[in-house]
Amino acid sequence: MFKCSFSGFFLLTYLICGINGSIKGYISPTDSKKFISILSKSFSDDNLDFSSIYYGVTGYNILNEKIDVQIVKKACDFIQKNFKYGDDVEIILHVFSAWSKLGCTGKIQKEDTLKFLHNAIVNEKSSMADLRFAAEVLKLVGEGVPNPAKLALLLQSKLKEDDSLHNLGHAIHASVLLGSNGKFALDRVEDVVVQLDEVNGKLLQWEGGLSTTSLLLTGLLNLPNSKPFTQIQADKIANYLLTRKTVQTSKGIVALLEAIKSLTTSSVSPVSIGVIGKPIVFIEKPDLKVRVSDLFGAPLKPVPGPVVAVSATRLVDDVVVLSKQPLSAGSGQSEFVLPLHLDPDHYQIVLSVGSHTATLYVRVLGPVNMKSFEIGLSDIDGTSAPRLTALEYPNKLGQPLQADSSNVLVAKFALSKPIHQAFLRLYSPKKEIVFIAEQDNNKIYKVEVNLNSELTYSGSFDIELILGDPVMSNPIKWNMAKIDLNLGKDESEVKSFKGPKPEIKHLFRQAEKRPSPTVSLFFSILTALPLLLLVILWLKIGLNFANFSIVSLPFHFGFGSILCLFLCFWLKLDMFTTCAWLIPLGAFTFLSGHKVLSRVACSKKTEKKE
Amino acid sequence: MTCIIVTCVRVRFWREVFKMNFIILACICSIFVTQTIAQGRTLILLDNQVIRETHSIFFKSLQERGYNLTFKVADDSTLLLSKYGESLYDNLIIFAPSVEEFGGSLNVETLTQFIDEGGNILIAGSSITGDVLRELASECGFEVDEEGALVIDHHNYDYSDEGQHTKLVINNENLIDSEVIIGQPRKNIAPLLYEGTGLLADADNPLVLPLITGYSSSYSYIPDQKIKEYPHAVGKNILLIAGLQARNNARVIFSGSLAFFSDELFTSPVKHALSNEEYKKSGNQDVAIALSQWVFKEHGQLRVKSVNHHKATETKPPVDYTIMDDAVYNIEVEILNGGKWEPFIANDIQLEFVRIDPFIRTTLKKTHNGNYEAKFKIPDVYGVYQFKVDYDRVGYTRLYSTTQVSVRPLQHTQYERFIFSAYPYYTGAFSMMIGVFLFSFVFLHFKDEDKKSKSD
Repeated sequence: MFKCSFSGFFLLTYLICGINGSIKGYISPTDSKKFISILSKSFSDDNLDFSSIYYGVTGYNILNEKIDVQIVKKACDFIQKNFKYGDDVEIILHVFSAWSKLGCTGKIQKEDTLKFLHNAIVNEKSSMADLRFAAEVLKLVGEGVPNPAKLALLLQSKLKEDDSLHNLGHAIHASVLLGSNGKFALDRVEDVVVQLDEVNGKLLQWEGGLSTTSLLLTGLLNLPNSKPFTQIQADKIANYLLTRKTVQTSKGIVALLEAIKSLTTSSVSPVSIGVIGKPIVFIEKPDLKVRVSDLFGAPLKPVPGPVVAVSATRLVDDVVVLSKQPLSAGSGQSEFVLPLHLDPDHYQIVLSVGSHTATLYVRVLGPVNMKSFEIGLSDIDGTSAPRLTALEYPNKLGQPLQADSSNVLVAKFALSKPIHQAFLRLYSPKKEIVFIAEQDNNKIYKVEVNLNSELTYSGSFDIELILGDPVMSNPIKWNMAKIDLNLGKDESEVKSFKGPKPEIKHLFRQAEKRPSPTVSLFFSILTALPLLLLVILWLKIGLNFANFSIVSLPFHFGFGSILCLFLCFWLKLDMFTTCAWLIPLGAFTFLSGHKVLSRVACSKKTEKKE
Repeated sequence: MTCIIVTCVRVRFWREVFKMNFIILACICSIFVTQTIAQGRTLILLDNQVIRETHSIFFKSLQERGYNLTFKVADDSTLLLSKYGESLYDNLIIFAPSVEEFGGSLNVETLTQFIDEGGNILIAGSSITGDVLRELASECGFEVDEEGALVIDHHNYDYSDEGQHTKLVINNENLIDSEVIIGQPRKNIAPLLYEGTGLLADADNPLVLPLITGYSSSYSYIPDQKIKEYPHAVGKNILLIAGLQARNNARVIFSGSLAFFSDELFTSPVKHALSNEEYKKSGNQDVAIALSQWVFKEHGQLRVKSVNHHKATETKPPVDYTIMDDAVYNIEVEILNGGKWEPFIANDIQLEFVRIDPFIRTTLKKTHNGNYEAKFKIPDVYGVYQFKVDYDRVGYTRLYSTTQVSVRPLQHTQYERFIFSAYPYYTGAFSMMIGVFLFSFVFLHFKDEDKKSKSD
């Protein structure tokens, strides 16, 4: 009955409702709380100055927060005590503005300052910002702007010199104070609006960020008799401003709040339509709470029209499941309730409030049940039927599965609803592998794991089923079995690239084994024995040295010292020293030996002759 | 007349000289100034200027730490990384996920060259990561999942999630366990919020660091599509934020999420949607700032201050070592801390004594602050060796120091001289010597009495 094409339906709703959109965000109570906590720092003792007091009090005022009486008194005292005479127009504005916003009693010295301002406002050398601030101060203290026509001319001539966005902003602000003389600013409105930059098709801002955007926006919206923005532009500017909610300085917060305030009070106040809390409803609690408010979260006055759910469409197949259902009022003035009695899924809901429409994406969450689950092993060649065991969630398989390289792990399960994530995970402390279950024609999920090709080594793995879906209210992680796998290959050592490496000690070459000292001693004696034997035998047979003469003594002395030198060589000398000693000794022994031998030969000759 | 002209010229000359001096002086001054702030020259490339405001806390923390930030839109046609062969920036932040092509002279080649020259890059992608960032990522050894894919986890998402379960609550156990990188012990860090795409890296790549990983139940896929193909990244293999320390110690961080660095996630509270565990503030700010400190080398930068080695009995390095000498090796290591070099304290610095392969690997002992010592006996194999300290730890720059020395064999006088088992040989030799001496005496002076009697 509701089956009409999605795009056609959309076109229809737009034709009915006009083309005004809406925005989703707003300054929520948590945002306000964050702002307050930052603003409250402006009153702390260590950074108290005129500007910080001004930003603090302005921020508090816009958020409708009361400032503690003690703090008000402290700030007033500070201003009264420290402000004597100013020559920075912006600071002067901050002082007077804060003074009046705080509602301080007492007197503030202002005569000299006002004189200075009167000079500044007619001075051609004053900057655009100074002119604007001076005019504002004079208006604030009740003096009014002197000679508005002249000031208007001065502003215009300044704009001719430099019409940057910043200058334009201040000129527009100043022109608002000039009444009918400020009309020149109206000509500039279009020029300023054209300079808006669009980001991603969703945001509009002026180059220069939050402060410039705020300056221009508040100025343009303050201008009487002008309607600078269309509703779409206002919505996009509001979107930009809401992205800047995270601003961290009190100056930035004041710029943001002033901009939002002037948007809300303007004729193009964006309507913020959003879901209160999260865009989720549960089957048990189907009430969707919708907030329709301005940017500060306050109810719209007047309400542009009844809040109606134009349609609800299931995203998967574009089936319209609900149409033209009015929302009932909720507990607050800006709260409306839409009961969604729908099956768990993603839905797109188009809401309309008067001429504003909003598209909300809502999920209806419900539990997914496991209808059946079987796990087991089968053969790789498919010869025998798989041996499957049925299991109930959340029980565990009693015995670990015993598998080898010829087995295939099979798991089959049926669920009450198809889901996005149906994974089977095998894991050991060091490794995990995830397998994806696929649905067959009978809507049964099935995983088959070829153990031999998927896993590289033997080991014991836990098997876990992971089920999840955006609209599943009970995501499941079920560790249901263990598998002992024997592939005949063991885990290879994991090389670690970083971290300390194992220590290495050098193995020195072992000394060769030596015989015991006794053996050495025994053989030493044995080696010395022949000499001993020689001496003993010689003594026994008797020797006579009748041929001895004193002449041969040098030779024996020389020969003996060469042998002694060899002994010394062994004991301590090195080769070079030994050689150095050997040369003279050798020469001496050679000569004396020659003498001895010639004498021996001579005596032998005489003997023969005899 | 000529005289006047001459004086005129002279005056002009002196004026010129004066001007020149002034220019030189100004140049010198400017050199000093640029050198003092040179450390933190950082170029930030953005998709649009709004990012500058939405990520202001992160940029402010950089500014407070003394970085000189230059913001540019990524397709700005005047982009330039180096001029006349000199790098204009030390660091680069690319917060421009959707950029398809950079402006100016920037492209993947100039960016890889920037890394090769030691520049550091912090890149943030998102589910719509552009081609140029994908290419850059693959140059660094990461792979970004296909366009539109987000990391999904139906078991660990934040309470504020919009419905697709892509705003994940990342427990501190998924962080890399390295205090240098994440700034504090990981158990002290509050859960992180992450919303972005998944990355992949080769697990065997020794240069890639998995800084933040997914859960076993996470997967990276296009949320609105039914799972038909195996997801690119599943389970703990998903890298949410990956780091790279190149061989030249240049550092790169690639985050799959630009939102991770945003003011919004920095300041938002964390509430696990299923377990309802609550934290007042996410750990994003702490971790993001610590990561920026690491990637821009504020943390974990090491250097060798001095190396000394000598024989145990001496104090100066010898010309060469003899095998089996006792050697002493000293090294002083420093770490950069807040712009100052301070002694580095560790207990796992190792020394290798290498001749092609290491012969000895020993842990250096700390003697006093930042000074480490090893004493060991030189092996009994001669050759050309190196004292090598190669300290490569997660999060630290690689410390690599080699000192070459030669080790020679024993001189002939240095061998053992009185071996007890050789005494038979010694006695043999000496008994022979004594024998020869005696025999020569006997042979020369012996008088044969029989012969005399015969002749008689």
